[in-house]
This record gives sequence, C-alpha cells and structure tokens, in this order.
Amino acid sequence: MSATQLKSVGDSSWRKDGISKVTGSEQYAPDISVDRMWYGRVLRSPHAHARIVSVDTSAAEAMGAVCLTFADVPQTRYNERIVSTPPCLYRDRTVVADKARHVGEALVGVAAPTEELAEKALRSIKIEYEVLQVITTIEQAQKDGADPVHDTVLLNGEDKPIINNVAVQRTIDVGDTVKGFAESDFVIERSFKTGRIYHAQMEPKTVICQPEADGGITVWASTQSIHNTRILLGQIYGLPLNKVNVKKVALGGAFGSSIQMNSVTPIGVGLALKSGHPVKIATTREEDMHDHVRYPSEIKLKLGMKKDGTLIAGEMHAFEFKLKQYVGLGGTFWGQGPASKCIIRSDGVPELLKTGAELINWDKRPKPGSQTGRMRRGIGMARGFHTSGVGHAKASGAEMIDYSGAIVKLNEDGTVDLIQSLMDHGGGTNHAISKIVAEELGVPNHMVGISPCDTRTSLYDVTTHATRGIYAGGAAALKAAKAVKEQIIDWAARVLDVLPESLVIEPDQELGQGVIYCPNLAERRMTVGDLARYLHLNSLGTISSSQSMRQVNCPPAYVSYYVDVEVDTDTGQIHSRRAALGSDCGTVVNPALASGQLIGGLSKGQGYALTEDNQWDPVTGELASKGFWVDGKTPSISESPLVADIETHFAHTYEPTGPFGAKGLGEAAKNPAAAAFANAVYSALGIRFYELPITPEKVLAALAEQAAGKTARAARQAPAPVPVAE
Amino acid sequence: MYMNTNTRIVSPEFDFIQPKTLAEAFSLLEEHGATAKLLAGGTDLLVQMKMERQQPSHVISLAKVKELEGIKAGDGLTIGATTSISAISKSAPVKARYAALREACNAYSTVSVMLMGTIGGNLCNASPAADTAPALLVHDASVILKTAKATRKVPLKDFFTGPGKTVMQPGEILTAIELPEPARGSGSAFLKISRVVADISQVCAAVMLVRDGDKITDCRIALGSVGPTPVRMKHAVGALIGQRGTPEAFDAAAEIVARDITPITDVRATEKYRRHVARIIVRDALLTAWQRAAEGAAK
Repeated sequence: MSATQLKSVGDSSWRKDGISKVTGSEQYAPDISVDRMWYGRVLRSPHAHARIVSVDTSAAEAMGAVCLTFADVPQTRYNERIVSTPPCLYRDRTVVADKARHVGEALVGVAAPTEELAEKALRSIKIEYEVLQVITTIEQAQKDGADPVHDTVLLNGEDKPIINNVAVQRTIDVGDTVKGFAESDFVIERSFKTGRIYHAQMEPKTVICQPEADGGITVWASTQSIHNTRILLGQIYGLPLNKVNVKKVALGGAFGSSIQMNSVTPIGVGLALKSGHPVKIATTREEDMHDHVRYPSEIKLKLGMKKDGTLIAGEMHAFEFKLKQYVGLGGTFWGQGPASKCIIRSDGVPELLKTGAELINWDKRPKPGSQTGRMRRGIGMARGFHTSGVGHAKASGAEMIDYSGAIVKLNEDGTVDLIQSLMDHGGGTNHAISKIVAEELGVPNHMVGISPCDTRTSLYDVTTHATRGIYAGGAAALKAAKAVKEQIIDWAARVLDVLPESLVIEPDQELGQGVIYCPNLAERRMTVGDLARYLHLNSLGTISSSQSMRQVNCPPAYVSYYVDVEVDTDTGQIHSRRAALGSDCGTVVNPALASGQLIGGLSKGQGYALTEDNQWDPVTGELASKGFWVDGKTPSISESPLVADIETHFAHTYEPTGPFGAKGLGEAAKNPAAAAFANAVYSALGIRFYELPITPEKVLAALAEQAAGKTARAARQAPAPVPVAE
Repeated sequence: MYMNTNTRIVSPEFDFIQPKTLAEAFSLLEEHGATAKLLAGGTDLLVQMKMERQQPSHVISLAKVKELEGIKAGDGLTIGATTSISAISKSAPVKARYAALREACNAYSTVSVMLMGTIGGNLCNASPAADTAPALLVHDASVILKTAKATRKVPLKDFFTGPGKTVMQPGEILTAIELPEPARGSGSAFLKISRVVADISQVCAAVMLVRDGDKITDCRIALGSVGPTPVRMKHAVGALIGQRGTPEAFDAAAEIVARDITPITDVRATEKYRRHVARIIVRDALLTAWQRAAEGAAK
C-alpha cells in the first residue's frame, strides 16, 4: 500500500489526550489521591560512601510516623531494570540500602498522615555513619586498597566477587583491527568527553501504593513500563502477580529515566504494607536530581581509513562513569543500548542529506575560520540513528526482552477500544498507534479510543525505550486489528450474504463511520456500527482480539541535523539561530507530532552540546548544583531558535517490517545534536571542540589561544591524520 | 546536611497574617518582632522557608495593603514596594524614561517569577544578583523606609550592606522606591549575562549617561553579581565625566570596571569569566546609553 492511499496514518490529527493535557485535567501519578492516604518521604544519604552504624527512628515513631529501614525490607538483591534476561542481569540493589554508595542514596522511608509531618519525622531520624573513601574517578576506584563499594554482585543466582571495584568488563572484537590499521592510509586518534546530564523530565517521580484487603497491592507509578514494575514488585515482596496491579497513568516525560523501576516505587510499597495505609511519595526536584543521570563519558577513538575516506578500522575505549555505586546513579538517557543486529531495508539518508542541505543553504556555509567580526555565524551538520527497538537480540548473544501486546475490541456502536499497556512518554505514541488500528480497520481515526488500563487488564509490554513504541508496539496493535478486521469481514459477509473476499472496509467521513461494502454490488453495504449493533442485539458476541508480538528486526531510524549558530566572540556565548531537522522514520504516522519529536530532540541536544553538565564535587561527591534546578542549565524555549526558523522534513521511505511502513523516531531525534553543534561552531570559528558542553568559558579560552597563534593546542589535542608508513 | 533540603515542602509551622493597612502591618510587626517575616511576592521567601534558611514564627503578607502597590508618575517616579516586576516592565512612564529599569525587569527570570516577584522584595532580599538593583542605582533611586512613627529616605547606594543585608531596622517597612526625573539629554541601558535566559545573572550591569553634544556631563555605572552587594563604580565614572563619548573612552572605562569589581568563582561562573564579560557588557551598555541620550535629546 502506498502512503497516498492511507486514510488515518499520515495526517496531522489532534492527539486524543490533547484537550485533557492542555486543560490540565489529565491525571499523572502526582495527581492521584486515594482515601486514607498517607504521605511518604525518603531520607537520603548526605555522604558519597558511608557505612551505616546505627539508625534511630524512635523520635519519628513518637510523632506517629512509620519508618522503613534496611532491617524492614526484603534483603534479596535485585536489578531495577529488567529488560535483559537473568544471564546478563547484575543484581545489586535493595529497597533501601544497607550502605550509602552515592550522595542521595535512599536509606530510610518515612510515612505520616501529612507530608509536612513526614518531613519533620524524617528530620528527627538519627543515623550514625562511618564515612568511607569517596571514589569519584575510575583511577581511584581501581587502585589497590581502594574501599570496595560493593563486595559482591549477584548474577544468575551466583554471588560474584568484585575485585578492585570492577564488576564486569566487556570487550567487543569484530574483524582484525591490527590488519586494518596496517592497511590504512591514514590513522587518526581523538579523545572526547561528554557531560553529566540530568534528564529534567517535567513530572516529579511519584508512587502511590494502596494495600488491598486480599493482601495484594494497587500501585500508580511514574514508569515507562507498568508490567516490569509489577514483576519487580512481585519478586521483591513475594507477591503473586495476580495480587500486584500497576495502573497506567499519563507520564510527564521520562527521557529514559523511568526505564527502571524508580527508587521511590518499592519504598512506597514497603511503607504502605507496613503502615496499612495507602502511601504516596512524590519526589522533590532536589532528590530526583540525585537519583538518575546520563553518565558522563570519556572516549578514546582511533580510526583507520583509505585515501578516499573509506573507514576500514576502528578502535574505541569508552569509559562511562556510571558510578552507579559510587556517587551518581541512574540510567542512560534513552533506552538500553541495543545489542542486536538490524537488517536495513529502508534508507532515507541520501534524501535527508539533500533536503536538509537545501533548507539550510549548506553550500553557502562559512568557511571555517574565515570570519573576523564579533558575531560569527556557522553551519554544522551531523547525522545519527537509533534502531527501532532491539529486534531479535539473541543474534548477538545478549538476550533482551522485547515484545508488546495489544487488545482491540469492537464496541456495540462500532467504536473501538485499544487496550495497550505501552507507555507514552508524552510524544503521542499511544495516539499514533490508535491511528494504525483505525487505518487497518477502515474506520475513522476518532472511532478508536485509547483505554485506561492496568497490568491486570492488559498484555505485557517490555517498556517504551529504544525508539520502539510505534515500530514494535504499533506492530502488536496492528496484529490485533488485523484479527478483528477478519472477524468483522466474516460476520459482515454472512449478514450481507456475499463472500468475505469481496468485502472492503473504508472510513466514510460524512457518516463518521467505517463502511463495509462490496465494490461490485453497491447495495450490499453496512457500517461497522450497523454490524456491531446487529451482533449485540442478536447476542452473537463481541468481536475482539488479543495479540502479542516480537519484532525480529530493528531497522535504523535515521536523523539528520543541520544547525546554524551565532557565536558571540566577546562573551563566548553560542546562540542557536536556525535548524533543519530530518527524519527517516519510514511512513510518518502523525507529521505534527513527529515534527514535535525532532524539535524536542534539538532542545535536549542543545543542552547536552552547549550548557548542561551537572557535575559532582570530586572530593565530597556532592552535586555542584546541590540538586537545585536553577543550576541545572537546561535550555528552555528562550534558548531555542524561533519556531519559524526550525524546518523539519521527512524521508519518503517505507519500512517493509513496520506497521504501514513506519519505523521509530524518538531516541534518534536527539542523537546527532552535539556533533552538529560542534561542527557549526567549527564553521564559525575554525576551532574544534572535543569536550561537552561547549561553554562560553571554553569558547573564550580557545579564542584566546587561537589569537595567540597557539595552533599547537589543536595539534596536541587533535593530531591531524598521519600517513601510515608503507 | 543539604540532602534534606528541598524547594517543595514547607515543613516548619508558622502563622500567616494578612493585614489590610500599613498601620495594621506595623503593629503586627511590632507584636511579633524579630521572628516575623514580611511576605511580598514570595519568590524568594517561600523558597528560603522550604530550604529552612528562614524559619519565621509569623509570615505577614503585604498583598492586601493597597497603598503599597502601584506606580505614580510626576516629576520623577514613585513605585510602590509591592508592585510586580511585570507591572513595572509594562509601565508607560518606565518605558519612556527609565530604559535601564525596564530592561532589568524584562531580563528578570521567567514570566511566573515576573508576575509574582515585587520590586520591594527584590531589594529587601538584598541578593548581590538582584536584577533591579543596578538599574535603580543608575537611576539614582532612593527607598522610603517607614515605621509606625517615622519615615526616612535612604539613597539606594547606601542601602545594601552585604549579601542579604541592608540598613533596615527592626520594625521598618520599605514602602516605596523614588526615582528622580532623568536629566535632560540622558540615556540608560541594562545588560545581563546568564547561562540560560531563565537564570540568575552571572554578571549584570546598568549605566546612565548624560550627554551634551559629544561630551559626557554625568554618568553612573552599577553592577550586580560581582561582589557582596550590587555596586556603583566610582573610578570608571570619574574617567568618563568630562570626556568625549567615544568607543575608546567607553572601552577604557569598562576596563576600569573589570579591574575594580570583586567577583568570586561559584557554580554560575568563574571569577575570570565574570571580569571578562563585565567589561563587555559595560562597554556595550555605555554605547547603547550614549545612542539613547542622543535620541532623547533629538525628541
């Protein structure tokens, strides 16, 4: 089917949750309140590394608060992120920690009838710490005699010792690099550094847990996967899954930071079970900023190439300062880092590059270093991709769980309910999937409603990560819609007394209904609503289908960035002035929302490139920002180019394995940002930067060196490609 | 222990009182003495209470005291202490005659903070980074401090004594800010450097110039975030008055400013960067104010 024949897929319709979101009536986890509800707070460690000698909660309990210490929680270790299977799942966490391993580590939960009382009670708790060595660098951690952060880690039921603070090492070798470098005409070596970024999702991470009379629990939580949250809570608290119900509520952004079960989720459950009250914990911005991070990294890269630029060898040493157990904590920004191989069957890159170049006037870009005035413009480009989902990861040896489910049912008036646990981060994934269902069923888009659901009433979905929402989750919904359509056609064939093969369904905008008809027998027609009523009034049952599916491929979603910056050489500030952002996401399900994803990616990417670096103090392990968002330096609309100066465009591709030819988009949307900005700054100034963020201070320092003619710096930090001796 | 600090929960208990008149406010202030705090817009006080940097027993809101709000233009300008930053930025007389103040108000954080925050609160909070302070300093503003019995007028240049500290005495309320009529042939400007727009300044600067032809006959320069208080720059001004208004003269004055200020390195900027951009924005502001002075004289 070509894109021009599509009815619902491809139009920029209003998202179904749009009105409720802009009027403030949408319910997010922080909006949930239940009867008899208490409020929880979490006491977090002020030390980066400390043993807990004693905890005295008596004063808090005297105030009427209930406390949850390490002694109160199950001692079995778990991994809060269960996208991988047990053979590669390292388990090192408990609900609250036995030892502080980073500033902000959750140590004691407190619940009380009001949040203010919980806060007071929390402050009355006395903890005696034995402060241990603060470890903030890889070198410190690996030194002989360094304090072990973890003594052991649990892998597949086996308690593995940790030597010199290294729990796991991974080496990936493909081909013969020695031979490759030997055959290279040029070899370049570079070092790169990236910043430490707070996800800055709008929603404060929240959990509400209601203990049920049957011993079960009902949970509302900020999460990217209600089912993984359920499985983990069941494992931790020894509850069968039919007694753990996690409700799907709107998610106010995550950017990957809720791929794991959030630290407050099991604490809220523990407090509810201990107190017998429903308990709500909504994190403060400050504790949230200590709770997850995009790791900073140092990358040493060596590339070998032929004279024509063909890359033939590469070597990369990447150190991510995960410091998960040292001073920071959390997940990578977007998803899990797919370990799988993909088959490329759609490639819009040439089109993206051509269109983007035209939109930004690439041919007229300034020659690097050619400008002399105070304000210098520069145009830079970069491209990137992310696989759509993780595909069939067994192919590369590391198994990742990756499947989605969906229930589609025809209501008694011909409308349709889509019941799917897949979380929408805010980009409109659920809306887009409802359009895929409408397209398949041949009904107008507004006929398909997105149902509220929970883990008890929906099928498993792994998590919305790795650019998989539409490609993998949409494919599962499409599978269910196909099965529903088949039943609709079968029943209609009987009612209309024609062969099923002769029937088609198409949306009729005037009727506002899907119409089932036989193209060569015009009088044999009925609406989907007519059929649904007929089935209902004759007690013939409900048409529905419940399907689960794994996408075996994970096609790359390509993105291209062309950005135009203005550098103020007096203040060192870099202003983002124009951008042309391109996406090859296959068939575009909803262009306006897809555009929004790209523009959002530009904003997040700009922060990563130019302003954000939420670093800790190397001596104390405290965040320099102390968790205050005013020092998070996240760009806002004020730092963005004017909307009129951001062009978005899409490649005209069709991914044969995707629902109606669609691939992913979300995580890919940000990937090229930092490189594009760095290239634009090079175009403006003739100076290369290899460290993020490119702050005004760094720009001024580099300009001063450039002015002093110290090109030696460039040579030192970034040696020119050197010819390899024959 | 900063890990317990947050900006959402007000955990200490306090009494909240809303007087309707200034007289009532004075008697409440007298009654509850040193443990009471006056609440204007709350954009600083509430955050400080949540962070437990302030733990007042009583919070006396000035929101209902009508006589404290509003802008009166005549010969000069009187701005009520609880007038919002947003109202000042939209005021016609401010727009026409007090460019530096208007630009300072426009550069003031986010829309919500501009709507809630007040000019009196901004001054009484006495942050070295207060955006309105350098602008008011170059407009030669004074503050009116009242008790139940007495009124005094203090030039703003003598008002700040340290970070968070002013000359205000217990029982006093800052009721208004008075700005004299700008001199004929004057022009002013305000510039601010911050990491992102919705941020506290790394450095901010305001300038005012009076020109007679190509001569500078009077000048004031004030900066924020470069020392313990918002500060007026004497040496640079001395170097400009009586000179011709040339880019070279402005550059030289800006260099004196960069030398005289006493910035620190903190999470927002290094001392080095602050000195560097102080020079840039003072120079740029002088050029703009000089241009405006010519335009003003032409009208």
